[in-house]
Amino acid sequence: MMPNTQTCQPERLEAFLNGKLSSRDEELLEAHLDECSQCRRHLDEAAAAPVAWTRATAYLKDDPFDLEVISGFSDEPLALPPQIKQVLDVLGATDDPGMLGRLGSYEVSGVVGAGGMGVVLKAFDRPLDRTVAIKVMAPHLATSGAARQRFSREARAAAAVIHPNVIAIYGVSTDTPLPYLVMPYVGGASLQKRLDTEGALPVADILRIGIQIASGLAAAHNQGLVHRDIKPANILLDQGVDRLVITDFGLARTVDDASVTRTGVIAGTPQYMSPEQARGEPVDARSDLFSFGSVLYTACTGRVPFRAESPYGVLRKITDNVPRPIRELNPQIPEWLCNIINRLHAKSAEDRFQSAEEISQLLTQCLAHLTQPTVHSLPKELHKPRKVFGVRARNAWIVVVAGVLVFSMYFLFSQKTVESPQVSRSGPIINTSSSNGIVLPWEQPDSTTKWADQLETVLKHIEQSIILPSPPGPLSPSTGRGGASDDLRNER
Amino acid sequence: MSNMPETRDSLIIQIQDPDNRDAWDAFTQIYRPILYRLARARGLQDADAEDLTQRVLMSVARAIPQWQKNPNTRFRHWLNRIAKNAILNALTRGRTEIGVGGSEFLNTVNNLPYSSNEIEAQIENEYQRQLYRRAAEIVRDSVNADTWLAFLNTVVEGESTEAVATRLGKTIGNVHAARSRLMRRLQTVVKDLMEADE
Repeated sequence: MMPNTQTCQPERLEAFLNGKLSSRDEELLEAHLDECSQCRRHLDEAAAAPVAWTRATAYLKDDPFDLEVISGFSDEPLALPPQIKQVLDVLGATDDPGMLGRLGSYEVSGVVGAGGMGVVLKAFDRPLDRTVAIKVMAPHLATSGAARQRFSREARAAAAVIHPNVIAIYGVSTDTPLPYLVMPYVGGASLQKRLDTEGALPVADILRIGIQIASGLAAAHNQGLVHRDIKPANILLDQGVDRLVITDFGLARTVDDASVTRTGVIAGTPQYMSPEQARGEPVDARSDLFSFGSVLYTACTGRVPFRAESPYGVLRKITDNVPRPIRELNPQIPEWLCNIINRLHAKSAEDRFQSAEEISQLLTQCLAHLTQPTVHSLPKELHKPRKVFGVRARNAWIVVVAGVLVFSMYFLFSQKTVESPQVSRSGPIINTSSSNGIVLPWEQPDSTTKWADQLETVLKHIEQSIILPSPPGPLSPSTGRGGASDDLRNER
Repeated sequence: MSNMPETRDSLIIQIQDPDNRDAWDAFTQIYRPILYRLARARGLQDADAEDLTQRVLMSVARAIPQWQKNPNTRFRHWLNRIAKNAILNALTRGRTEIGVGGSEFLNTVNNLPYSSNEIEAQIENEYQRQLYRRAAEIVRDSVNADTWLAFLNTVVEGESTEAVATRLGKTIGNVHAARSRLMRRLQTVVKDLMEADE
């Protein structure tokens, strides 16, 4: 064996790594490595940077995902829920590698979701060059003749509802092994998602959402169609709250017929059911109104009105209990909105509002009042002797705060012998300057000036944070809506 | 390197041809696991992760014709950007990609925290991982079984060189030499693959 000193040479290591050593020299080196831990370390360092070793260790180790990647992307059947798999199995072959398959004339590109009643596929309608959502009836329902019949009848009824707040129906296929409905792909998250992330919504948003749900429901009810599954997850918001569509018309009823009423199994969540639904009684449009009330309640409080451990517990609460008062959970909600929801929540359908149309109009008036309280008064039926936390009350509150602030400034500066005649007229200053910002004309050095600046900022902030209505008077209506910038924009 | 798949160099050019299904398959073989794992890492279930993968691959497929060979733009970086945007879209504006009906999947996706940088880092990390695994497959097929085991058992599985040497009937020097040389080769292949992707 060669002496150690002759093999402890970095260039030999490099040559070895590159396979440049003779086999005899390799043997000698390996024998040397047996004994020389320093050369072993040098060899490691020469072979690759430390980060590469670490990466090799981390990246080459299999993790659970790899096993699924292997099973999921080989030729083996995909590890999908059986329901989705059954639906995907009926798809025809496609030439497009980016697509999962074909359904009728649609190229299916993915699975959007699956529920108790069916699977929603995302697909492309090539002839019309648009993306669509296809709701395919669940295979276990499709075997029921009654369910299929009901499906097609309801699908046609839903298709007859043409309204901006009701999902459009592009097409229906009822003679295929699995019946399906073709609908537009809708933008935005569901109301459920919005409530999950944001909790209770601002009153104006609740009203905007409510108006649209109510008018969508009115359109459906006019066609004799009861939705029967009004819940936040079925309300899709398109960018913000300015446009929403109600989805899932028809299928809910199909499910009821095929499974719920026969087996007594409750499909999905019963949280938004009406008492008559919970009791398994026949329902009419007013059942939707109760559910609508529950949707509004959830939007006001961030939580569902009837909560219990089990679905049956929920059903019992729906039939027997009155939900916790909204204003206990969210005092921001005006009394009149609570009253509307309470009326929607009447256990007996007779005691509710009698039509979605009526509520839609009512909520529209409420929104007008909310945005322009001086121009539009609340609908008469909502007038209550006690008026708490209305816009007027808020304004009064601002005046009080501002008054206190100005008073404290006065106190502060008078201590420092500042003579400022305007300060003493605290009320007028606030009122006259409300649209221009506050000008505090004193000239004080150092810390006092800073103080004043800070107070000024605070006052401006308070002023801006709450939109002051314009004083009633001979002003144009446009000035009533907002602050100074609106006024400027509306000048011409 | 001679071990490189022959299509590698022109893969990017090939996938720009919409009729070339093989090229697309080769391409998705690389990127599908990356995307899938990203989705799983964000908490999605298998089927949902696959759907997201599908959506992102679709947007990549749509964007690919726009790519032009250019010495200043590395294809991989361009592609990572496309993938990142597509994932961000799927996760955020993906809200706009919502079909009708309530969907557990979308609730899951939309509840995930995300940030542009974080996703970029994740994509790069997954890309590197995929790179190492592709390289390891190539290297594994070019060495004898004991050499591979010496590497796998000590470097990946964390066994001591002594234990592995005893089991394989080799000396410590043998095991150490074998795994270091394999590591070097792995590095070279990783580099080659990365260059081919760019």
